[in-house]
Amino acid sequence: MIGFIFKRLLQAAFVVVVVSLVVAVAIRMTGDPALMISQGSTGITEADLVRIREGLGLNEPFIVQYFNSLMGLLTWNFGNSFVGGTPVNLLISKALPATLTLAFTSLILSIVISIPLGIAAAVSRGKWSDQMIRIGSLVGLSFPNFWLATMLVLLFGVTLRWLPPSGMAGFESYIMPTLTMGIILTATNVRLVRTTMLETLNSQYIMVARAKGLSESKVLYKHALRNCAIPLITYFGLQFGGLLGGIVVIERVFNWPGMGTLAFDAVSARDYPVLQAVIMILSLMIVLVNLIVDIAYGLVDPRIRKE
Amino acid sequence: MLNIRFLKAGATALLLATTAFTAPAFADGKLVVSSPQDPGSWDPIDTFLVNWASAATNIFDGLTYRGPDMEIVPALAESWDVLDEGKRIRFKLREGVTFHNGEPFNADAVKFTFDRLLGETGAKGPQRSNYTSISKVEIIDENTVDFHLGAPDPVLLTKLAGYGAMIVPPKYVTENTEEFFNLNPVGTGPFKFVSYDPKVSLKLEAFEGFWGDKAKLSELEYRFITEPATAVAELQAGRVDVVIPPTIPVSMVPTIEADPNLVLAAVTSPTVWALRYNTRDGITADERVRKAMIMAVDRETIVKEILGGQADVIASFQSPLSFGYDPDQKPLPYDVEGAKALLAEAGVKPGAAVTIDVRGNDATFGEVAQAIAAYLSMVGITATIQPYELNTMLNDIIPQGKTGAMFQQGWGGWTFDYDNTAYAMYHTGEKWNPYDSDKKLDALLESQRPLTDRAERERILKEIAHYTADRALEMPLYNSKALYGVNKRVKNFDPAPDNRLRLNAVEVE
Repeated sequence: MIGFIFKRLLQAAFVVVVVSLVVAVAIRMTGDPALMISQGSTGITEADLVRIREGLGLNEPFIVQYFNSLMGLLTWNFGNSFVGGTPVNLLISKALPATLTLAFTSLILSIVISIPLGIAAAVSRGKWSDQMIRIGSLVGLSFPNFWLATMLVLLFGVTLRWLPPSGMAGFESYIMPTLTMGIILTATNVRLVRTTMLETLNSQYIMVARAKGLSESKVLYKHALRNCAIPLITYFGLQFGGLLGGIVVIERVFNWPGMGTLAFDAVSARDYPVLQAVIMILSLMIVLVNLIVDIAYGLVDPRIRKE
Repeated sequence: MLNIRFLKAGATALLLATTAFTAPAFADGKLVVSSPQDPGSWDPIDTFLVNWASAATNIFDGLTYRGPDMEIVPALAESWDVLDEGKRIRFKLREGVTFHNGEPFNADAVKFTFDRLLGETGAKGPQRSNYTSISKVEIIDENTVDFHLGAPDPVLLTKLAGYGAMIVPPKYVTENTEEFFNLNPVGTGPFKFVSYDPKVSLKLEAFEGFWGDKAKLSELEYRFITEPATAVAELQAGRVDVVIPPTIPVSMVPTIEADPNLVLAAVTSPTVWALRYNTRDGITADERVRKAMIMAVDRETIVKEILGGQADVIASFQSPLSFGYDPDQKPLPYDVEGAKALLAEAGVKPGAAVTIDVRGNDATFGEVAQAIAAYLSMVGITATIQPYELNTMLNDIIPQGKTGAMFQQGWGGWTFDYDNTAYAMYHTGEKWNPYDSDKKLDALLESQRPLTDRAERERILKEIAHYTADRALEMPLYNSKALYGVNKRVKNFDPAPDNRLRLNAVEVE
């Protein structure tokens, strides 16, 4: 197990290095941050620009700049933002929890809804309840998330005034973003649970379990669900990773102070240090989630543990 | 354990006591402002962002002040004399002013502020270049300073009213790190800093010791909301009292007007829009073609139909608020036949093609460009619209001279002085002038800069405006209005044309 984890950590390091290198090169192609910062100042000369670049540390060779940002992951010091000089770690330490909690609550909400619904659909395969659940999930899938978000804001935020339309302040502010992300995830997840469950229900050990005379709920929750767990955990894990990146639109609509907002602002401001830090940390998170998923297999499936 | 509890109780009591102490008796109520951008630092010399000024104008003071009426009035300086043909300005400083941290304001603070701006610290930021006409600041006595200028700078008194010239407390700045000051600003303004949560909010409270009209609000909060729909939803929900520009697009004006709790405040802004020409290559190198294209486009209709009337047609590349504006200068008329005749005279065949470069993120201007292309097609010119990412366009395409025959340009210098615009747009070799070089225009532009005689300088600036219109260096389009969405519970709110809001007079119900 230790060897396995070690190997995976090495892989993780490799992924982070490659991703951050690509980002570091790509963002430098967008143009000069000194021009960006001095937009609007009059009478700016090339000498002024050189001084501004020096102040930003852009006179260093690329390899030094890149290495410094990479070391940031180990020392938790990513330098200062090009916009206003705020320490990047301060920005990250606020944005990362904001994004993680939102991604987490959305995924949990979706799991809590989709597992019972998926099982119900699988059990009643072909009957009207199955049809309803499948049509419902198709409708959910068809919503663009920003549209759904806007509609929720108009209804609960503006018209009824039950919930804050944006921002992250207390429990109420989580409801709409979580619901938006949750509904869209659930739409896919219900179908996934249903398919996986159907396959499992057709397998021989379920027939044996039924033949033994076990109650239907025992068959479903003790035998079938446990065997469904592996593909589902894999999928939910990957989904969590995808969520971290895909949450940008939702963060923008709800003015959520997370990593997506940070990355979005950083791209448009040519803010190299912030963008690099955000991408490195997100890719690291995604790799780690995958690692956790692999470890979780062992917990649910004794066969893997023994290997 | 008991000790800790005791300490905690003591700390709480102390906290309560200080809160009770600082809650000023004269001020009441809280105002929440939605601003589209977080500048990331509150240090006056770090950024050059309008939305820095919309908040920081409440924290800091300059030697001079310019409010929504555009008049330069005394602030931290009580009076001044321009000496030595404009090469020296003597400022008499206001006495008895203290910074929010209790530090006294005096000649030392002024000298420190400008030494910092013009020295090593300032060189790393974008503000320094605006103040390089100042060669040094000399302390005459505790309350008198002399500004020595390398060359007369007619716009300096305006520039001292904002941005990099805001006075900072020497002791506080020296004793703390640069980073700390960025995140914990201290000034002499009507509101003092309480807390700053990057990308989320800035919280201020009334400063009891303010030297001028004390704030009527007890609390002032800025929330950073980029998405217009989100900002307007917060405004409608009553959680935000004022949405400041540049947030509300013209397309959302009806939403605000339809809401019984809200008002739309639209004021003339410094921002002007034009399609500038490539005067060096192609058919637009011919002045007649440039004029014909202006005449072919019905700018009044564009303003009325596309911009909902929230703009005014311009004749030169400046707003009516700018120094050097000539109210008698009229735009070229909409005249399709005249345009066709001019094009024929210039030998332009029907079907001639031009490219119009626009900013890809600007949906409103995208529609304007579509309309212009349609008008041009009526005189036989085929226009293709080429969108660019905003920053690529501003930093690479325009300054490098890689534009099409026409390109979108917006300009809004906060100094409201036509010199600021004209010099940057028309002087040979300037970043924003990649194509044109006109010796006569260069001479005109240079001749007005050292003048301290305001009337003479204004005359030359007007001459420049007429000269550039005669040469048709751009297709002047319109001066857009600054749009504020305001909740009706807000009283005495004076929407500033330049978005530099000073909110001490504002009250809430």
